[in-house]
Amino acid sequence: MSNYYVRRTARVFATIFAVATLTFGLIRLLPGGPFTQLRAQLLRQGVPASEVDARISNLQNINPNAPLWRQYLDYMGAVAQGNFGESISLGEPVAQVIAEAVPWTVFVVLVSTILMFAVGIFLGSLQAYWEGSRFDKAFSGVSIGLMSVPFYVVAVISLYVFAYQWGWLPTAGTVGTNVEKELSVPFLLSALEHSLLPIFSYTLGGIGGQALAMRGNSIQVLGNDYVRVARLRGLADRRIATRYVARNAILPMYTGFLLLLGFRLSGTVILEQIFSYTGLGYYMFAALKANDYPLMMATFLVITVALIVGVYIADLTYSKIDPRISAGGSDEAY
Amino acid sequence: MTTDDPIIEINNAAVTYDGGETFVLDHVSMSIERGEILGIVGESGSGKSMFADSMLDAIPDPGRLSGEILYHRDDGTTVDVLELSDDELREFRWEEVSMVFQGAMSSFNPTMKIGGHFRETLKAHDTDVTSGMEFARELLSDLYLDADRVLTSYPHELSGGMQQRALIALSLILEPEVLVMDEPTAALDLLMQRSILTLLEDLQEKYDLTMVFITHDLPLVAELADRMAVMYAFQLIEVGDREQLIANSGHPYTRALLNATPDIEAPLGEMRPIEGQSPAPINVPQGCSFAPRCPLATEECRVEDPASTQLDDGHAVACHYAEDARDEIALHFDRSEESVPVSGGGES
Repeated sequence: MSNYYVRRTARVFATIFAVATLTFGLIRLLPGGPFTQLRAQLLRQGVPASEVDARISNLQNINPNAPLWRQYLDYMGAVAQGNFGESISLGEPVAQVIAEAVPWTVFVVLVSTILMFAVGIFLGSLQAYWEGSRFDKAFSGVSIGLMSVPFYVVAVISLYVFAYQWGWLPTAGTVGTNVEKELSVPFLLSALEHSLLPIFSYTLGGIGGQALAMRGNSIQVLGNDYVRVARLRGLADRRIATRYVARNAILPMYTGFLLLLGFRLSGTVILEQIFSYTGLGYYMFAALKANDYPLMMATFLVITVALIVGVYIADLTYSKIDPRISAGGSDEAY
Repeated sequence: MTTDDPIIEINNAAVTYDGGETFVLDHVSMSIERGEILGIVGESGSGKSMFADSMLDAIPDPGRLSGEILYHRDDGTTVDVLELSDDELREFRWEEVSMVFQGAMSSFNPTMKIGGHFRETLKAHDTDVTSGMEFARELLSDLYLDADRVLTSYPHELSGGMQQRALIALSLILEPEVLVMDEPTAALDLLMQRSILTLLEDLQEKYDLTMVFITHDLPLVAELADRMAVMYAFQLIEVGDREQLIANSGHPYTRALLNATPDIEAPLGEMRPIEGQSPAPINVPQGCSFAPRCPLATEECRVEDPASTQLDDGHAVACHYAEDARDEIALHFDRSEESVPVSGGGES
């Protein structure tokens, strides 16, 4: 059993290693190549040709004239130490940019995904209990409607209505410009105010899908003999609803939740662009536009690592939640 | 059909799913003697489960149960189960009349340990959990289970036979008077069926239970029951003592059913399947529901539904020609008491 945990953890590092390698390789396959572009850019900025290579190696942790394997080793060595080089467009260490951006993105993604599941599960179980009622039918329609509206449409419309037309909420940023960045009540309030619209638009569309999934799962569980036996045994309705129906209906959604957390990190590229919310996705897009390769590679890596860790946690904890699954059972998926 | 000291009297119980146009339990009356083991036999879709569910007023939605289910308590008071309020019904079930469903594998919450099921049942009925769990251990050991292991196991960690026995223990945890079992052995292999049957007999004696055992397996219940009843097309067509019903049955369907029962000692040529199919609730024949398949059926049978009539003492048959049936339809097995056909054969 412990053997499984060791192997599963080793696999996390192996996957991250593979992703970093792939990122390194892909960057070199980009049209024009990073160094050609960078060299031209530096020359345009008036950097003397003799200094260009030194600047590039400083930015990328890579000596462009070294053989490829040498560059690769330097790059991987630096990444392993958390050194992603220096951002070309911002002139700051990438690690610092990321460290400032990640909390905002994690905050928005975590809160909106939890909300999405909580509201979806609640509405879905109500639908299941009142299966066939007018509420059930109406909300099934609403759910499908919600699923078909992309979050960025909600984002643009809510930004226009709540921020620009009615002026209730700020139009951009993570906190107000005149608020000190420290842990204080005004700071938290301002952060909350700024995150309200991103969270709302990132949550709304997802509710439909989760509600429909929960509805289906619950109806299936409600039809099980053990629910009927529990009723006959005289258990309180509340206990049956939580310990019997909800528990068994939510189980299959748990893995989806952790995977979605990882996937939704990458969705923030568009979301944060719309709200000028300076999180991970915002910088990723900025890096793409500015051909800021060090920043780009780092954001890629962070998002992939988040996904890998999500799957890792799901794998390790699922057996704790569902007793029928034992960790590291007969056939593992590598 | 009356008995001396009935514990449950079912009068005209009917279950409908379409507001009274068709019935999946068609005005059945039956009385169950205190302390007896009653076997109910019928094929799939004959209304057996409806009969079982009606005793706890537990017909699955949106079915409607009408009639009268009288329950006579030990202290002489009588209640009509259908008149009970929700709270009273909640107490009545499991404390007075308890039930074991077919498919024990799906009767436990897969994400809860077996012990949790016992504890929550005790709590839900405001019973002392400590002494209740002591009793649970006793019940489990009565059923030859390792109580500590079973109580701390999840359902999927037990075999089918163990789950079934644990479910029987769970159904007895509140010391009910009546235990209704709906196909309790259907999903088990022959050996396990056999041992559970033996255990049930022991339990019945030890705890002075009244048991209603519902099955499609006639030989199985014939070994256990004191009295038997045969269901066909949502009605009870024959009720009688086990010996009477097996050796001297009066209804052509019962006789045909006995002849259709596989017996390892009977030559294959003597096994007779019953031609045709049992009716669905929407096309129950106008007269006797067995008439279309009955070799003895006459015009009278097709027009008039036979009422249940007393054939011998304590033996009632719903057939116009019960006496004739005994002569016309020969039973293929030896009628002596010892050779009641057994499921799987071998012991007779």
